[in-house]
Amino acid sequence: MAPRPARAAALVVLLVLLAAGCRERPVADGPVTLVFKHAKILGPADPVPGLLRRFEAEHPGVRVQSEALTWSSDEQHQFYVINLEGGSPPFDVMMLDVIWVPEFARAGWILDLTPFVPAAERDAHFASAIEPAVQAGRLWALPWFMNVGLLYYRTDLLAKYGLAPPRTYDELIRQVRLIQAGERDPRLDGYLWQGKQYEGGMVNVLEALWANGTRLLDETGRPFPEPERARESLAFLRGLIESGVSPGWVTAADEELSRRPFGDGRAIFLRSWPYALDLFELPDSRVRGRVGVAPLPGLPHGTVGAASTGGAHLAVSARSRHPALAVALVRFLTGEAAQRAMTEGAALRPSRPALYADPGLVARDPTLPALLPLIRAGHPRPVTPYYLMLSTTLQPEFSAVLVGRKSPARAIRDGAAQVEHLQQALAR
Amino acid sequence: MRTGRLRDALVLAALVLYATPFFWQALTSVRPDAELLPLSHLLPSRLTPVHYDAVLRQSVMPRALLNSLGIALSSTLLAVGLGALAGYALARLPVPGRGVILLGMIAATAFPQIATVSPLYLLMRAAGLRDTWLALILANASFALPLVIWLLAGFIREIPRALEEAAAVDGAGRLAALRFVVLPLVAPGMASAALLAFLFSWNEFLFAYSFTATEASRTVPVALALFPGVFEVPWGDIAAASLLASLPPILIVVAFQRYLVRGLLAGALRE
Amino acid sequence: MSDRRLGWLLLAPALLLLGGLTVYPAIWVIWLSLQYRIPVFSISRWAGLAHYAFLAVDTRFWSAAGVTAAFAVASVALECGLGLGMALGLRGQRHGRRAAVALLLLAWALPSVVTAKMFEWLYHPAGGLVNFLLGGRPVNWLGDPALALPSLIAADVWRTTPFVALLCYARLLTIPAELYEAAEVDGAAGVQAFARITWPLVRPILLVALLFRTLDALRAFDLMFVLTGGGPAGTTETLTVYAYRALFQTLQVGFGSAIGVVVFALVMVVAVAYLRLIHRQEASA
Repeated sequence: MAPRPARAAALVVLLVLLAAGCRERPVADGPVTLVFKHAKILGPADPVPGLLRRFEAEHPGVRVQSEALTWSSDEQHQFYVINLEGGSPPFDVMMLDVIWVPEFARAGWILDLTPFVPAAERDAHFASAIEPAVQAGRLWALPWFMNVGLLYYRTDLLAKYGLAPPRTYDELIRQVRLIQAGERDPRLDGYLWQGKQYEGGMVNVLEALWANGTRLLDETGRPFPEPERARESLAFLRGLIESGVSPGWVTAADEELSRRPFGDGRAIFLRSWPYALDLFELPDSRVRGRVGVAPLPGLPHGTVGAASTGGAHLAVSARSRHPALAVALVRFLTGEAAQRAMTEGAALRPSRPALYADPGLVARDPTLPALLPLIRAGHPRPVTPYYLMLSTTLQPEFSAVLVGRKSPARAIRDGAAQVEHLQQALAR
Repeated sequence: MRTGRLRDALVLAALVLYATPFFWQALTSVRPDAELLPLSHLLPSRLTPVHYDAVLRQSVMPRALLNSLGIALSSTLLAVGLGALAGYALARLPVPGRGVILLGMIAATAFPQIATVSPLYLLMRAAGLRDTWLALILANASFALPLVIWLLAGFIREIPRALEEAAAVDGAGRLAALRFVVLPLVAPGMASAALLAFLFSWNEFLFAYSFTATEASRTVPVALALFPGVFEVPWGDIAAASLLASLPPILIVVAFQRYLVRGLLAGALRE
Repeated sequence: MSDRRLGWLLLAPALLLLGGLTVYPAIWVIWLSLQYRIPVFSISRWAGLAHYAFLAVDTRFWSAAGVTAAFAVASVALECGLGLGMALGLRGQRHGRRAAVALLLLAWALPSVVTAKMFEWLYHPAGGLVNFLLGGRPVNWLGDPALALPSLIAADVWRTTPFVALLCYARLLTIPAELYEAAEVDGAAGVQAFARITWPLVRPILLVALLFRTLDALRAFDLMFVLTGGGPAGTTETLTVYAYRALFQTLQVGFGSAIGVVVFALVMVVAVAYLRLIHRQEASA
């Protein structure tokens, strides 16, 4: 009973599906098409389409096709790696997280921008934004927007108890205790931050290390050059949870999970990025007008304001078929006019210091000038092509400390061993 | 036999309870967003199609469903096609080293995917097959092949040789006997093997996650695992997508139960 | 053409596919594990046994090995116990047998990612059914280091018990009713009947189920990767998840392959040990 007709039908269905699957990507002929891959811009209005139309108007015969990336940073990275490794990626201009730029440059995936970008244009951006984009003296990407870690605090609560924003974490803890005792609200949390096992959690740990005057790698690349100070930093973070200053769930919190309770008025302090301020100042926000920003506090051996900078850069694919035009698009989007439009439209901060004193922008957002010194005091995460490998190797160790499964000393020992094993592979 | 019926009904009720996670997910897929978090009532106040609408119109699931269907059908055809021929050869023909090859098949069913994923990734990369259907079709077929061959060899051995000998007497060669005598008789067995191979390919996650990058070739499990949410996780949409992803397995379990069970039992009972 | 030749011809395509995509990679992965290999940076050079030497003293590796072992043992023990119980419960089923088997197999047939998302939602602290049924207590099943592994095991047991139940059920169906009737006449019923008739006949099949399920549990990846990602703090990170992270997150193909080879060896050793045990059982039976 060989079901011949059924088998033939199955074959036909199969062929049709195969044909559908092997469908070629439509090639746009006629005008030159640049493909621009970027993550969705959050905020009240998306300024990117308008900017792209302006570019098209200035460059007749050129079309810019905007394609959105997935939401999570890890996925975006995997997407880029798979496509760029394969040979001919179907895009020209890419938005990159600043931490990926050295990696992509080292892998030979992005175009050297040095011949196209005059020194004056380079210097118009923050030094801490240009630094990660420079490898072996060459420039590989241009900063698009800037981020820096901030301490958010409830101005009304601090004023009620006659307190100024804390300069040290000891002060912060004392202020939390004072306010919690006074308010007697069991739902009022003290200090919220991001302790989940992901890149954001790594940022928080790095800031704690810098706040205590130590760093992750020294100049030779050795991990944890001052292990005792690193141990203190990790013990401090774990101590925040054990003492109840931070609720236990911060070990699972990312930016959004920590922002919401603060935005609902249920926390005194929050560590987050500048985008949160725009959301706190929305008309329907419960903490509107009651939020202030301050530099991150310091620990005994370190300084105030040791925040991490971040943000996105724009780079050109090394295999782009229209490199000159792609570079022009990058320079346009990172230029002063475009960054001004982005700051007005979205919850983003420019990477050009000059714009922080721009009268028009300051009128719309009076907190801009205050951010300038905070950004200047911040530093980038370790600038190395292997940063992501480093981060994903150490994240589980730090996470184990935060949930109380490992002592800080052990985590540092184990983490150092893993990093050294990694470096053995990377040594050439 | 009233106690018999009552007992049977109780057992069925217990099994329905066992399947609660699935039914809960089905309920979640039609529950309005406002009633998802926090959960205050077991039953929703009203049913809403908004999640299915979002999944079918605004997500990559339709494309992922197409990818999964094409890849699963193709790899199943490939595995069963090659497996039937190989199974017949191992069951009936005096292939030298037959015992060793069969032993190798059995050993191959125990291979962990995590061990072969890295060389396969390099292989696919070198062949330029990343993010294509072909990569997954080949990988899935190859992974399912040992079990399929083992099953089919067993089923073919159960067919009395006398039937093939009768065909030989009638003047039919080996291939003709295979085509007109053996294959029709082993068709139910092939159906069982095909169902198992299809289920494996439909549910397969590790290879699909590692070899695909864009929705050009993303399968349903990967699309589900990477389901996007801008600020918060869209549980209702994920539930709807999960239900869609479960349609072929449900169909197989309900409509083709007999063949499925036969395949499962044969695989386990013959060692 | 001779039968031998025909045999090889029919076998060739399958062997080719298997050779290229299963056997060759199985050998290649051992070769990869002896190298420092990071394709993204074009790093490719000999490492010898350096990766294995590192794994021997790597706390993360031993932690993952412990999680893998705990997961396998607990999971398989629960599945076999529950599976046998279910089979016994189903044995007398006369009406609605097909519906019963369908409900049972549903859990087994669903894609593991679907099951993972299902349980992730069930375990949700605020929106999950589990906490709701517990009276609204905000237990963080997947975020608490002490609860994550048991929660994962529960999900896996739910998913795989039907397979064991089906095997046992099929075997139970073949036990003739006369045996039980004869035992009743002898005065043995209930537990004694189970111990004397059911257990000896069902034990071999249970052993086979044990073998399959142990091998599957050691190789398991999908559920823990999607449900918890190996967290929190590595409490659900099995060897497979560790290997995957090394391969695709840190892009260390050589190191990740070494962990994969360890899983490979572990699975093979267990398989051989079990098969020997089964053959000895059959010989003595």
